[in-house]
Parts: sequence; structure tokens; C-alpha cells
Amino acid sequence: MQHFVIIGNGVAGIEAAHTIRERHLPKHARITVISKETEYFFSRTALMYAYMNQMERRDLEPYERKSYEKQSIDLVLDTVTDLDANEKTLTLEQGGALTYDKLLIATGAKPRHFDFKGFDKVKEGFVNFVSMQDLDECERLTPSTKQAVVVGGGLIGIELVECLNFHGVETTFLVREDSYWPVALAKEEGDIVAEHIRHHGVDLRLAEELDEILVDDNGRIRAITTNKGKEIPCQMLGMCIGVVASVDWLKGATTPPEIGRSLSVDRAFKTSLPDVYGAGDCVQIETGEERPIVETIWYSAKRHGRLAALSMMGDHVHYEPPLFYNSSKFFEIEYTTVGDVIRVPETARAMWRELPGKQITQRIVYLPEEGDRVIGFNMLGSRWNHRLLERWIRERRSIAFVKEHLGSAQFDVEFGRAPLEKMKETEVAP
Amino acid sequence: MREQGKLGWFKHDITHRGITAWLLFAILLLFYFILYFPDKIGEGAQVFGASKETVNWARELGGSLNIFEDFMRWLGAALGFTVKKWWDPVWNKWTLYGTLYTGGIVGGGIYMIRKYSHNRYQIIRMIAIMVTQTIFAFSLPIMLGATGHKDYYFSYFWPLKIEYLYPENLANMPLFMVLYGVFGGLLLVPILGAFFGKRWYCAWICGCGGLANTFGEPWRQLSNKSQAAWTFEKYSIHTMLVIALATTGIAAASFALGDKSPGLQQTATIVKYLYGVFGVALLSGAVGVAFYPIGGTRVWCRFFCPMAALLGLVQKFGRYRITVKRNMCISCGMCSKYCEMGIDVRAYAQRNQSFVRASCVGCGLCAEVCPRGVLRLENKADPDPQELTMNKLLTQGYKEEPQRKAV
Repeated sequence: MQHFVIIGNGVAGIEAAHTIRERHLPKHARITVISKETEYFFSRTALMYAYMNQMERRDLEPYERKSYEKQSIDLVLDTVTDLDANEKTLTLEQGGALTYDKLLIATGAKPRHFDFKGFDKVKEGFVNFVSMQDLDECERLTPSTKQAVVVGGGLIGIELVECLNFHGVETTFLVREDSYWPVALAKEEGDIVAEHIRHHGVDLRLAEELDEILVDDNGRIRAITTNKGKEIPCQMLGMCIGVVASVDWLKGATTPPEIGRSLSVDRAFKTSLPDVYGAGDCVQIETGEERPIVETIWYSAKRHGRLAALSMMGDHVHYEPPLFYNSSKFFEIEYTTVGDVIRVPETARAMWRELPGKQITQRIVYLPEEGDRVIGFNMLGSRWNHRLLERWIRERRSIAFVKEHLGSAQFDVEFGRAPLEKMKETEVAP
Repeated sequence: MREQGKLGWFKHDITHRGITAWLLFAILLLFYFILYFPDKIGEGAQVFGASKETVNWARELGGSLNIFEDFMRWLGAALGFTVKKWWDPVWNKWTLYGTLYTGGIVGGGIYMIRKYSHNRYQIIRMIAIMVTQTIFAFSLPIMLGATGHKDYYFSYFWPLKIEYLYPENLANMPLFMVLYGVFGGLLLVPILGAFFGKRWYCAWICGCGGLANTFGEPWRQLSNKSQAAWTFEKYSIHTMLVIALATTGIAAASFALGDKSPGLQQTATIVKYLYGVFGVALLSGAVGVAFYPIGGTRVWCRFFCPMAALLGLVQKFGRYRITVKRNMCISCGMCSKYCEMGIDVRAYAQRNQSFVRASCVGCGLCAEVCPRGVLRLENKADPDPQELTMNKLLTQGYKEEPQRKAV
């Protein structure tokens, strides 16, 4: 019997466990999942709904608790402190040693942090919004918070802003860039989202950065100052400036694997150590090119977990990232993106469509030089079947074709189809 | 975490089975007992063949408890109307109940339209529910009664309104009502169900579903999502369907045989009485509504309604399904949380599994609350429903080795 050990019970880890169990009966494969965060897998993406009173803690768990028992997946709530790949042994903080036949490291990512001025004096009021413990801390601090500042204009930032706003906290949202989320949204789209954020009463400040954190006598944050010299009173400071791989613990291990910024794996999710694999937000996939593949979204972690498990079971795996797609929601504005929409070739053009008076837009990027072939979609305010959009990109369809058939990719609710025929259309540089 | 302040406490408490929720439950239960049961006491004594004195005593007891009826008669007289001696077609307790019920649906409907103003499916659905209730389930029956006609609820069909196919009732109805009831209940309901799913009735027309989806909205998330609840539902709802069919059958047989079989007549009277007490008054009324604050909004619809059972069977082989967008689910669970029928929608969505479940009433809230727009209600010509069993969902595919059975 083989023993599969998985460190991390996030989506990559649990997906791997399920993939292994699909093939091997309990008498052929023992599966152990170790986590220090929670005993049961929960959906990190739903933390905000628990914070906003729309869900309870238990509702965040995607699988019924007894299903782990039914599937013979052992869950261990502990911290791994050491890895010895020669002896195939893990050392646990509380549970002693654990030997494995195949090991998957899926420890995910943790919030990025800078040593801001005044941070060393902070005892209370500083939060992230990534883990269950972060949620507990946010909830503990909210009743004593009238004003808050959230730093970082990404998806986690806006989630935290939405939660604080729900609880009636006056929130200032500091975004370093001069339009909202420029890594995914064009200026026009960023402006629409920015207006929507402000419409909810959030003080969104673009092109403004945190300079110094000020605390009161008890070490509780009382205000921050920005690089524009403004002082903003706040009792909570949310730091959402991205995440970094959670692999520090490996650096001091008996047999440390090769680590770049994240845990290095090849296209079969193998680390430099024998029988040790990596998947999810904690890995960078080395391809031989200068830049490794780094993917840190829910969908990629789920994909990694499944493929890494196949690789662990001896299948041939050669990872090739699929066409990029993602979705999100900025307060009420829904967002779908497929393909390349930002940092596209200079020759690219974009068809920009907007519905007058509504926050519904589409930006379709195409290459006039290559027969008008479409390479990306950025859709705000209505729902789209991303599978069809993907197919059109793969089939190298022209902008004329896509425009003609766009209606067939709509995924809005019945009776609620966005009226594409009423949209104003202009051609812009992407 | 709940909102701050006293209002935040109350909002949380009443929607999360707190003390105020239990209080509301008790009030609603009491209301339904006073509404339904005074009549049933005397009737019961008679049906079970008690002595004359006992029947009279039971009637008096019932009469003394019938305070809503007394109130309405008093109100009618106080407003200067002539109230008929034994039974007034307008000034009776059912008008009071209808007013409250319609008020709940219209008030809740307006709340829903405001809450989901961006979702046209919900808006149109709410308008359908409110119009159906105010006209066909409230004003029209009262007007029919007031003008000396037989009152009739055109928005209800057999087997939900089981007495509409009792032969002795059909014999006393105008022909068009007979045709409406028979063709509506036996043909229209299942045919539309095959094309659009049970939602055309359960989430657009029906008063039970109407109240659940308007007034009951704050409690929809309380539905039980466990596997045990699903198992119970499968047995209970189909048992109720069998009981409803049997009751109608006994009523028809007794009518057909008439005086030739007095024993069957007596049985039919008792069976119909028991169905009226337990099926209609207790389960659809008292349990159906009073359980909102503690068991979610669709307890009657999910576990007991014979019409839902019938439509569910049709739905499984019909066109309706929920389409899941592949690889877009983030397992957040909002869909499951807000499913009033206790379907674990997330279990399907995270497996990229389009599905149809017999119990799904097509309220569309799972698609509404999904932050990634993964779900869509559809009527497709080429359905490919693969209803998974809960066991498969839980065990995610691994199967025990086939066991050799002794031949």
C-alpha cells in the first residue's frame, strides 16, 4: 500500500486527494492531508460571504464532513516543520514523524508584506484577508472600528472593502496605480469599476500609497499617512497587495527542494526532490524559458491539484497552461475575461462596446495583421459562456464572425439578456 | 458576522433560528390552529359517528374557539354590511386569511423586486406571483361568492387542491369549472411541466410557493441540506402523492357505487376528513408556513406537496435543467446556501455537472447569488440530465469493488 501525503488542504490539495481516491481504493492507497489552518477544506473565495453574514462557517466547506471518512481521506490538523526526502519522512509540530511514499506540497500562498514605516509599533488593527484566521481577526476588530483603510487594488482588496462597507465602516481604498486594477482592466473599464466603488460610499483614492502607520498608546492603529501627505484616521488597516508562495518553511528543511520565488516544479509537477511534488499557488513551473509559469487563481490551483495527482500516480503529465480565463465580481458588476486583453501586441486593436446608461461593456481585442483574429475578451456587467469565447479564440475567428455570433455566447438569466443590439460601438487602441 | 446594533441583532436573530424566530414560529402555529381547527372539531365528531350530544358539544367547543370568524362577522356588521346568518361569503375568516396572505405576497413581492431589480427573471416572476394571488386566489373567489356563484380558485389544481376532483364537488360545479379543473389538473399542469419544468407552477403561479418566495424570502437559507433530509424527502413526498391518489380514488369509487356500498361511503368520508386535517390544514397550512423561521420556506413544497411530487416526476424527464458553466465554479457555496429546496447545487457546479433535480422549483436564486455566473436555468430541446445520487456525490467517484452475490 502506498501512502500519499498532501501538505495543505486548499483546493489544490483536496482536488489531488480526490483524484487519487478516484483511482485507488483505500486498501491500495492511504491518503493523508495535513493543514495548520483548518481541519476541513473550505472555500477561501467565500470568506467574504461569511464576513457579510450571508453564510456561516460550516457553509464554506464544499464537501460534507463525513465524506472524508467515507473516502478514507485522513485529515490532520498540524504544522509540518521538516522534510527529509532521503528518509521520506515529515516532522510534525505535534504529531511526531510521518513517512510517505509520495508527497505533494500544496501550501498555497500568504499575503505579501512590506515593512511600512511604523509597522513595528502596531499591536492591533492590522489585517489581511486570505485565511480563516484573518477572517476571525477581521470580525474581532470590526465592532471597534469606525474607519478603515484598505491598501491594494486587486480582487482581495475589493472583497475586503465590500465587507467593511457592509458593516457600515467608513472605508478608504488606497490604490497605487492611477486606474483601478490595470493588470486586468483597461482605463475605461477601470473607470467604470472605480465609479461603482465610489457609488457605494467608498473613498477610493487612485495613485496614492501608504506611507506611515500611526498607532495610539495601546498599539492600536489610529491613522495612516499617504505619500501625498494626507492623514487618514482608521482603526483597521487591511493589507491586500498580493500574495507570495508559502514556502519559507522548506528553506530550513533537512533536504530543501529547489526554490525560486516559489517552489520550483517541472511540467510534471515534480520538485527537485524524488517523489516530492508541488501544486497550486506555492509553485512556479519551470519551462526552460527565462520566466517560469506562475498561476495563482482558484481555477489554476484546481487544475494543478488534479494533474499533480495524476503525475504522482505515475501518469505522464506535461503541463501546458490553457487559454487564460477568469471571472470576478466588483460589488454588483460581474466580470468575465478570456484570452489576452492587457499587454497585447502593439498592432492589436479593440472593439469597445458599451450600453448607454448601464455598466455593461465588452472589449474584444483582435489582430488586424492576422486576418482580424480575435485574441481576447474583457466583459463587464453581463454574463458570458467563457467556453464559447475560448473556442472562438482557439479557432482563430475574425472580429466580424465574433460580432455576428456574440449573442450565442451570452449567459444572462432568462428574460435578462443584455441588449447587444443597443450597444454603442467604437474602435479603440487596446 | 452579523451587522452591528440592535437592528443587526434582530435581523440576524430572526433569520438564524434565534429566540425571535422561535417566537414567530409559535405565533404562526397558533394562528393556523385557530384558523383551521375550530371547524374540524365538530366535523370530526360527526365523521367518526359520535353521539348527538358529543357532536353538539364538539361544535360548541369549536364555535367558541372560532375567534377569527367572530371577528370578521363583527367587522362586517360594524362597517354597516348585512352579514348573513350562518355563513357569509365575504365576511368570514377566509377573507381575513386571504387578505393577510395576499398582503404578505404583495409586500414581499415588492421587497423582492427592489432587492433583485437587476434580474429580470425575478422581476417578471414576482409580478406573475403577485397578479395571480391578488386576482385568481383572492379577489375573484370572493367576488364569485358575493355574487352568489360557487367560489373557485383558478390558480389551484388537483392534487394540491384535492377536492377539485372529488366527484361530488364536480357534480355541483358549472360545466366550465369542471372542464377547467379536469383538463387543468390532468393535462395542462404536466404538459407545461414537461416543457418548462415544475417552476411554471411552483415558482410562478402557486400561492404556497408564492408566499415562500416573497414573505418567506429572509428564511430561504434555512432549508436542510443534509443527505438525511434528501432521503426523507424522497420517501415523504411520494408517500403523500400515493395518499392523495388513494384519497381521490376512494372518493370516486364511493361516489360511483353510491348507496350500494354504505361502508365505502363511510370510509370515504373518514379518509377525506383525515386528508383535510393532516394533509391540508396541518401540513400545507400550519407546517407549511409556520416552519418558515425555523425550517426554511419550502417545508410543505419539498417534503409533502403531492402536486410537487407529480410535477417533479415530469420534470425529471422534461426539458428543464440547470446548466453549469464548465470550470468556472469557485465552490463558494452561495448556491447551496440559498437553495430553498435544500439541493446541494455546489456539489454539481464544482463537478461541472449540468443537472436536473425533481425537487428544483426553478426559483432562480442559485443563479442570482452565484458570484461567477456559473448557473443558468434553461429549457433545452435535447436534455442530457444525469441526476447523480447523493452517494456518488459524496464518494466522488471511487466505487467499492463489485461484490459477488450468491446466485
